[in-house]
Amino acid sequence: MDLLFDHTLRNAALGAALLGVVSGVIGSFALLRRQSLIGDTLSHATLPGICLGFLIAGGRALGPILLGAVVFGVLAGLAVLALVRATRLKTDAALGIALSLFFALGVVLLTYVQGQAGAAQAGLESFLFGQAAAVLTSDLAVLAPIAAVTLGLTALFWKEFKLASFDPVFARTIGLPVTALETLMTLMVAIAVVIGLQMVGVVLMAAMIIAPAAAARQWSRTLEQMVVLAALIGLASGVIGALLSSTGQGFSTGPLIVLVATGITVVSILVAPGRGVLWQVMQRHHERQQIDAEEVLATFRHLIYEHGDPTYPVERGMLNTYHGRGVSRVIEDLTAQGLIAQASHMDSEGDHWVLTPKGLERSGVADA
Amino acid sequence: MGSPLLHEPDLALHVEDLTVSYNGRPALWDIDIDIPPAVMCAIVGPNGAGKSTLLKSILQLTPPTAGHVTLLGRPYHEMRKRIAYVPQRSSVDWDFPTTALDVVMMGRYGHLGWFRRPGSEVREMAQAALGEVGIADLASRQISQLSGGQQQRVFLARALVQDADIYFLDEPMAGVDATTERVIVGLLHRLRGRGKTIVVVHHDLATVRDYYDWLVLMNVRVVAQGPVEKTMTTEALRAAYGGQIALIEGSVLHAAQ
Repeated sequence: MDLLFDHTLRNAALGAALLGVVSGVIGSFALLRRQSLIGDTLSHATLPGICLGFLIAGGRALGPILLGAVVFGVLAGLAVLALVRATRLKTDAALGIALSLFFALGVVLLTYVQGQAGAAQAGLESFLFGQAAAVLTSDLAVLAPIAAVTLGLTALFWKEFKLASFDPVFARTIGLPVTALETLMTLMVAIAVVIGLQMVGVVLMAAMIIAPAAAARQWSRTLEQMVVLAALIGLASGVIGALLSSTGQGFSTGPLIVLVATGITVVSILVAPGRGVLWQVMQRHHERQQIDAEEVLATFRHLIYEHGDPTYPVERGMLNTYHGRGVSRVIEDLTAQGLIAQASHMDSEGDHWVLTPKGLERSGVADA
Repeated sequence: MGSPLLHEPDLALHVEDLTVSYNGRPALWDIDIDIPPAVMCAIVGPNGAGKSTLLKSILQLTPPTAGHVTLLGRPYHEMRKRIAYVPQRSSVDWDFPTTALDVVMMGRYGHLGWFRRPGSEVREMAQAALGEVGIADLASRQISQLSGGQQQRVFLARALVQDADIYFLDEPMAGVDATTERVIVGLLHRLRGRGKTIVVVHHDLATVRDYYDWLVLMNVRVVAQGPVEKTMTTEALRAAYGGQIALIEGSVLHAAQ
């Protein structure tokens, strides 16, 4: 496995893993607070900060670039809050306005920066869609502490975050500073976004906030399970996407990571027990079959009472008349369950069935 | 900590000159309410009368334009650990990934303080509280799989573990089945028997006499307050409900006479 000793690849995978874990954890709270889209606005809004950080530092040093990104992410967050408070705009409209405004500004600045000498080599446009191969060991030294602080804060404020997310009104009554906690959680979304800028880029970063959390929600019964699972899904998507990108044809890393993450999400939304769409369809189908079976048994019971004979043989034609052609499958099921059995009556007529002792008990005839 | 001088310490709840306005419109106007300890008090009034706003204002969730509130002589922020609150059931997302027991344990978070995790002691309290509201067997159930009545009982159990002196409940009987309503009322009566004060925003005039011994009748202003049998008069109801009086069942008016 020479691959593991390749520095570029190792850095890319480590960076993507950091991002996956942090965005999974932070995204879980954002999702439950119905704040997922804040990630989209904040990530797009970092672009002007990235460009300004680059201009001021005069080169592609990660520190100033990330600082610029954080500043503009926070500015966008404040702009959203101000719009919602001061105008009659709802949050969705405010998020949309802030996103477009800051991103437009960022694209203008990016075009300007790329006109400057030396900027083309810096590959600033890789911040749009991410380029994990550009992650340096020194970059990881910046990203890892940020990620550690974020996760540490989440662990420290676990029960406060949980209560403020589930029931903010009650949280206020017991004296929790809910506004401060909500601000902190939003700030942490901005941090997760900033960690992901190199790997995923500003355009698709929102998916990393939403997808692992949404996938994890499908499989979990508690917040603890959800957050841990979201971190693992984020980690897996990050690493797989980074590996694919590094070994492939120079694809941008962001789209690959996001495709893996959303792939996991789609599967989760479809098949997760309890919440999965397919699971629910199958459950409904199963219930439908049970109801059909009960209805057929009720017909048996009715005919038995009518004839005063618990061994009364019911002819297929009667069942067809009552229940339609689909009854054949129900008859097969009931036979397989040992509730009815085929009975020979008269050769000239069609098939007949009688309730077995088990069937008599199940349909309540035995009680009567 | 604590005010050196207590203001009306003999009253469980003392509200004076309270005014709350939304966008320049008064939701509560010059409210004066005094509720003695160990009573079960209904706050009753038509839609838009400001009942929920009154609760929110007492609990400092809504800032008042004027006036003040004391509980057993002290302002709210000094009394947090002695007050329990049951919000309207619809105020939270019941699809949140957690169990009934976990929600009940949240009632102890205020007592635990920052950073401390709830331990086995809190778990046992929560389990006992679920037993008291008759759903001990649902402790590990996902809250998304609870019925409306069960959700309300979980909220009530959460208030129970707060181990408070004064309980505020916002429409706890709204949209629950008859069994749950009986459980809730029985529990509240037991709490009153232990000397707790219960203040309930209530919507069903027909049951006020059966459930409560104290009444605050309001419509933006306080219309009448006091012991139920003296307060619930036809004139007071007419004053509170105004033109909507026709909507009130004749039996209620009859009972009030």
